[in-house]
Amino acid sequence: MKTWFYTRRGIVKAVNGVDFDLRQGECLCLVGESGCGKSVTALSLLRLFDSPPGKIVSGKVMFAGIDLANCPVEQVRRVRGKEIAMVFQNAQSALNPVFTIGDQIMEQINAHGRYNRADARKKARLLLEEMNIPQAENALNMYPHQMSGGMKQRAMIAMGLSCDPSILIADEPTTAVDVTIRAQIMFILQELKTRRNMSIIFITHDLSLVREIGDRAAVIYGGRVVEIAPVETILTDPAHPYTRGLIACLPDISTNLKRLPSIPGNTPNPIDLPEGCTFHPRCRDVMDVCRSTEPALVNIAGVHKVACHLYDNAGAFIA
Amino acid sequence: MRSYIIKRLLYSVIIAWGILTITFILLRVGPTSPVDRYILNIAAKGQDVESVRQAIEARYGLDKPIIEQYLLYMGNLLQGKWGWSFSASQPVMELIGSHWIYSFQLILLATIFAIILGVGLGILSAVNQNTKIDYATSIFSFIGISIPGFWLGLMLILVFAVYLGVFKTFYDTSYPIWSLENLRQLIMPVLALGTGELAGYVRYTRSAMLDNLRKEFVTTARAKGLSERTVIGKHVLRNAVLPLVTIIMFDLGSIVFGGAYLTEIVFGIPGLGQVSFNAIFANDYAVVIAVTLIGTFMVLFINLATDLIYTYLDPRIRYD
Repeated sequence: MKTWFYTRRGIVKAVNGVDFDLRQGECLCLVGESGCGKSVTALSLLRLFDSPPGKIVSGKVMFAGIDLANCPVEQVRRVRGKEIAMVFQNAQSALNPVFTIGDQIMEQINAHGRYNRADARKKARLLLEEMNIPQAENALNMYPHQMSGGMKQRAMIAMGLSCDPSILIADEPTTAVDVTIRAQIMFILQELKTRRNMSIIFITHDLSLVREIGDRAAVIYGGRVVEIAPVETILTDPAHPYTRGLIACLPDISTNLKRLPSIPGNTPNPIDLPEGCTFHPRCRDVMDVCRSTEPALVNIAGVHKVACHLYDNAGAFIA
Repeated sequence: MRSYIIKRLLYSVIIAWGILTITFILLRVGPTSPVDRYILNIAAKGQDVESVRQAIEARYGLDKPIIEQYLLYMGNLLQGKWGWSFSASQPVMELIGSHWIYSFQLILLATIFAIILGVGLGILSAVNQNTKIDYATSIFSFIGISIPGFWLGLMLILVFAVYLGVFKTFYDTSYPIWSLENLRQLIMPVLALGTGELAGYVRYTRSAMLDNLRKEFVTTARAKGLSERTVIGKHVLRNAVLPLVTIIMFDLGSIVFGGAYLTEIVFGIPGLGQVSFNAIFANDYAVVIAVTLIGTFMVLFINLATDLIYTYLDPRIRYD
């Protein structure tokens, strides 16, 4: 899939060839640095980006036989919140400040089904209880500013779950909260996966969270998936030079480093992506072919796919 | 909350008292006197001017020192006596009582007209940002802001009353207030008074809506599967309305004190604007002070109401 934004300064190729599948009950992590296109990927799944300037220029989003990328908006709307729910990064700004939490949850329940007020309220209360929010009945009447950051984030997840979606997209749900709340939220998400057999798309730049919750991970760079594999493989046997760089940057408590390693250079500007492989200006293993030709995503070992010229079309390591 | 309201009401009384005192003094330091009008008539009839002046001044207490006059006035006011209108020859409250409705209907209708159309066009403009609809609305509102109400009033009279003959050139008080004819003859005055406000509201609504359209909670609302109508009409509008309330209430003050006066004079509507206009030229102290005081209380009340509406509209605002 490709989602481009047509701006005055040029075409921003935020998503420029992201391709993945998601299985029932699986947690797929989208990993990448800020600005690599992982959030726009998530927004594109439900066509939630601003349009114009944004446009899905090619690709499909297949869900239960419907192509969400090309069907009428009204059809996407019925999937939003009901079949595929989304939890955003910053609950503080993602919740509407002038409505109570209860109103905001009940609104979603009523958008996709017919409930009377008492039933909707009860459902909302049970959801908050499931999220371990104390005094749930009370919390329904609270405005976002009256809640703590962790409570807001959990209320947001409760809202996401209100219509029993089959897929939950969590866009960096732990970035804006502190470590203890982060642990709570990760625990909740893991429980959901096992108890509700829900599929989760978990977007993060934090590899330690990937290890905690992910079944598979897709590494995104410059708007493209450069590597996709089971989490274990990604962490122990990364194939793409970029992934290897990322793993090398993980601080290890057992070694005593003076300086934390980093990948030299910056993420590419999506208005002006490098020719060929978008990673080549920063790659240690750069070859001539990388500067001119974009590598295709090839299968190197069963479920392990990588987009890099170090591997030939059959997936064998050449260099 | 209750103590806040009581505190604000006390402040209002103090402010009103200050304005009353200033108005009282300003009216007295001028070189003219309400007696002047009588004198002109009397001099023409060849009577003794000086003795008549003394008689009148003694009758209304105008010969007493200004401090004493002030204390007397305040004392009467506290007993609910608003004084006597020299020029209308009736008690001030009777005069105001028979004219306020003309101002009230004009201000009310013009405000409703400006709010409904202004906010509506503003939303339309924001939702269709950078389209022809947006540009057309913007051009209309810039023109509307630039035209003074009294000039627009005169032009309306010229075109629709003089050339086309659709309306009468003057306001006809023989129609009852609650009649269609009365409503019809208010169309031009309401347009003259409301267009400027309307144009302003379009701009403010547009920018408040655009500000909030870009907020994250709008994406959340869409992600919940709400219809675009609910997203815009509920989530965005409810947040955009906050700054709008400030502007609208603020404008109401300037309509009460400025716009409505001029409009009444242009269209010959016998409202409080015209009453005070006449009273100022006749040096009719009591009327001028009473109208000023009523306007002051209106504005103070509007301000308090604004603050209270805030707490309802934005749960984050609390006065303790």
